[in-house]
Amino acid sequence: MSLNLIGLVAALAAFLGVWMGHVCVRKVESTSRTLGPPMVLAALIGFGLEVGAVLSPSPMVSGGLGILGMTVLWDVLELPRQARRVAAGHAPANPSNPRHARLLADGTATSVDWLAREPVGHPLRSEELTGHAGMPEHTPTSVGRRGA
Amino acid sequence: MNLFGPALGVVTLLIIGLGFVWVIRGEYYFGYLWWPYVMAAGAAMVLASLFMAPVWISALLGVMGASFIWGSTELRDQAVRAELGWFAFNAGHKLQPPFANRLRRWRAPAL
Repeated sequence: MSLNLIGLVAALAAFLGVWMGHVCVRKVESTSRTLGPPMVLAALIGFGLEVGAVLSPSPMVSGGLGILGMTVLWDVLELPRQARRVAAGHAPANPSNPRHARLLADGTATSVDWLAREPVGHPLRSEELTGHAGMPEHTPTSVGRRGA
Repeated sequence: MNLFGPALGVVTLLIIGLGFVWVIRGEYYFGYLWWPYVMAAGAAMVLASLFMAPVWISALLGVMGASFIWGSTELRDQAVRAELGWFAFNAGHKLQPPFANRLRRWRAPAL
């Protein structure tokens, strides 16, 4: 019985595409002074990967490139979304990035990574947040709630 | 022209998008301690994809498996988001996984 490797290739492409996208979006948004050039670059890379997928006769190569290309194209939209998370104080701002420094000066953003903690099993009280290293200008609960 | 790759890419985005929904709902109703079982289910899907002859079924099973494995690493962060008030916090009873007490001592993965 021969193994069908297309599922494994698709799984690796999906996982790596999401993981690398997750890391790259945060890193690029944090360090870029403007988001336009990285968005254009990601769009070009994603489009190039899709062209490669269309031109490849192999289902495995086409599938892998198609998945990677779509995740990179999705990252184009994720860059401004990450910027909105930083502006809302849900993701850490980079003080050495002038775009983030302005948000920090306005008091809307924070340099704290709120997710770098273990769950405690109850809604966090403000005194628990103030005990957080590098407690900033405001607490994250002041920026609004989203229903699940 | 081979449209298999782009089509698979679009379906993958839909499966990943669905992942956001089940991670939020799953953490709300069951809690983040289920992460090893979710990860194992994802790995089982990837393994099962090896034995599926039809290309689309194998590929979709692989993508769903990857989405489950990724989602298992998101459950802990989602629990923290709910505790921070960014998402609804379920103060009621959550269905506990087998070996919950042991799992509490494990560090849940977050990528």
